[in-house]
Amino acid sequence: MPDGSYAHPQQRQFNPYTENGGTILAIAGADFTVIAGDTRQSEGYSIQTRYAPKVFRLTDRAVLAVNGFAADGNMFVKKVKQRLEWYRHAHAKDMPLRAIARLIQTMLYAQRFFPYYVYNILGGIEEDGSGAVYSFDPVGSYEREACRAAGAAQSLVQPFLDNQIYFKNQQLPPGQTRPLHLSLSDVLSIVIDSFTSATERHIEVGDGLEIYVVLAKGRGPQGLEAVRGAQELTTNAEGDRVFIVRRELKKD
Amino acid sequence: MNSFVSRFASTGHDVELRKAREAFGDEDESLEMWGSQAGFGPLSKGVPSFSVPAVPDPSAFLRLHTDDHADPSCRIKIKHGTTTLAFRFRGGVIVAVDSRATAGSYIASGTVKKVIEINPYLLGTMAGGAADCQYWETYLGIQCRLHELRNRERISVSAASKYLSNLVYSYKGMGLSMGTMICGWDKTGPAVFYVDSDGTRLKGDVFSVGSGSTFAYGVLDQGYHWDLTDEEAQELGRRSIYAAGHRDAYSGNTINLYHVKEDGWKFIGNYDVSEMHYEGPAGVGYGYEIRTAGKSSANPPPEPESQTAQT
Amino acid sequence: MFLTRSEYDRGVNTFSPEGRLFQVEYAIEAIKLGSTTVGVSTTEGVVLGVEKRVQSPLLESSSIEKIMEIDKHLGCAMSGLIADARTMIDHARVTSQNHAFTYDERIKVESVTQAVCDLALRFGESVHDEEAMMSRPFGVALLIAGVDEKGPQLFHTDPSGTFVRYDAKAVGSGSEAAQSELQDKWHKQMTLKEANILTLRVLKQVMEEKLDHHNVQLAQVTADKGFEILDEVRLKALIDDM
Repeated sequence: MPDGSYAHPQQRQFNPYTENGGTILAIAGADFTVIAGDTRQSEGYSIQTRYAPKVFRLTDRAVLAVNGFAADGNMFVKKVKQRLEWYRHAHAKDMPLRAIARLIQTMLYAQRFFPYYVYNILGGIEEDGSGAVYSFDPVGSYEREACRAAGAAQSLVQPFLDNQIYFKNQQLPPGQTRPLHLSLSDVLSIVIDSFTSATERHIEVGDGLEIYVVLAKGRGPQGLEAVRGAQELTTNAEGDRVFIVRRELKKD
Repeated sequence: MNSFVSRFASTGHDVELRKAREAFGDEDESLEMWGSQAGFGPLSKGVPSFSVPAVPDPSAFLRLHTDDHADPSCRIKIKHGTTTLAFRFRGGVIVAVDSRATAGSYIASGTVKKVIEINPYLLGTMAGGAADCQYWETYLGIQCRLHELRNRERISVSAASKYLSNLVYSYKGMGLSMGTMICGWDKTGPAVFYVDSDGTRLKGDVFSVGSGSTFAYGVLDQGYHWDLTDEEAQELGRRSIYAAGHRDAYSGNTINLYHVKEDGWKFIGNYDVSEMHYEGPAGVGYGYEIRTAGKSSANPPPEPESQTAQT
Repeated sequence: MFLTRSEYDRGVNTFSPEGRLFQVEYAIEAIKLGSTTVGVSTTEGVVLGVEKRVQSPLLESSSIEKIMEIDKHLGCAMSGLIADARTMIDHARVTSQNHAFTYDERIKVESVTQAVCDLALRFGESVHDEEAMMSRPFGVALLIAGVDEKGPQLFHTDPSGTFVRYDAKAVGSGSEAAQSELQDKWHKQMTLKEANILTLRVLKQVMEEKLDHHNVQLAQVTADKGFEILDEVRLKALIDDM
């Protein structure tokens, strides 16, 4: 332990990383995707802020959630947005979701020898109109999934999603079949329940919840009308649409 | 004129910036990213340049923060753990892998695609760092395509694997971690090459890589011969990965099975390891309970209903 | 006139007082010496056709390569200094593959054309520590054909790095006659087969030799099959249908 004295040998290391807690999750539906994250930012046992967004709108059809080291995460999101802008100038269109996913891989992997300490989840609508979730490790390995939780309460939330979304370890009564995709209102309930429960059992989760909902082009807002305080962030009403829903979480 | 002076100056903010860029390899800020080259910038030179931390020993830095074998409490957990296998026989190449990714003892994913479809006639497998394999084998894919366009001929499996091994060898000692089999069918027939991040490259008939490879080899070696039929070969691949999934805690979830033939690879199927245990691919489970049932008082013969209840 | 020119036509990066870059203009002239190359765009796909000048009966005509694949969805035909085109096409191929690597999607026809034109301008002195490039402008014009989300498209590039989209375009020695013929005959509802035949007819008109399957080459880019150079059998059948 470095204690300022020179009585014994000391070792110091370059440590540019810290862990800022919080949790993110995303669930893909047939023609929508929900991406959510809490807004607490902490370091060790102390809470630095109760409102630090971890989920960001990239385009009208892509939302990125970042978790891990907040400074790396914010810088990373900034650079992704910059690349999306350049792409728009070079190719005169918005980058498709799967292209963003691959771009994020190459950007993360460019830092292979000095990694960003971030876990990314990308959610949105694919070119074919289907909902999609891509999850990444810090150096860019990625896969497309139906749902994924990451961050401090990953190990609390993911098993719940496995059960509720993938119907893992559920025995269906004979004659009954599993729905291929859940409805938006069911997904929203699952998301909110995941976060209220994670808040109950994890000290690094809480304060506020930001839920982004991306709806495929042409899909009506069914499942969202009844939701209190849904706010639209769409820039082009012709294409896919993005909404944000905010909820309070416990603050202790 | 000013730029001429600053180019040879050893002080000033320009130089500081240049030094910083050299140190960090920060390609994002370069002018080339704009419009010119249609936004491809440094990528038009091939692989993007990599950032390296400004410390005396960058690979020690990387090991400190990412290697969970040396330090289980390290922050950045890179996905690990695997069983992969590939073997060649008269009917082509069988490639079988599990689908579990672990970060420490947490199962980070049970649906990983560990077979990387480099192109329609080349497959690569993933063991070690998931990102290393995914990234470099995708990169290998575009290089193979360029080879094809330039030479009007498909690249041989040997050449493709050599390209990869030379590539990872140039990063030797920097912390890449991959153990991969490059599989395909070329003018020489079915071919399998093992390539790893140490720079090893081996041609062979049977390979298995990963934490569960010893278990897979046990089944594979005793069942392997050149004249297997397609069905026998596929079953051997499936059965070997099942054995690894069953005995190795770092392997499991599902099996992905591929068969490479003369006209390219074909995805055979995805099989749940627990389903294989109880039911097998054709209703007869791989599990050893079947073989012990009725042989002792502790293992009474199964009743007809209890079999279905287990599923 | 010759005097004023000679002062300014040597440097590749010096404008004349009238505001002209002679070396670039001369490079454009060089293309007019090249063999005739035709491109025709339809809603079904794009057709490229070139004349192969077989100067000697001992020449192996299949070794003349004037239509090349850039990627599955992109093809390119050339006229002018063919050696220069190889550099540009390799750049197009690398750009196209890098795009696929970074974005997991096919590059747009216009983007790859833009990338080729960026290269066309990189002559003259090198900047900073960048590798020295060409010392003179490229002496080749390209017809880049491709299919992307915007449908089939045909682009023309010249040594000045300018690119323009065309429904039908002819370049090379017979381009003037060929272009006016295209202007007469091209229409919006053209089928791919009609485009193939139009290409052959236009080439036949401007060629000195009698057109046969040895001295022309045809290629097409379609949404389903991508880029393909028509083999002898298909080419012969089209020539017979002409």
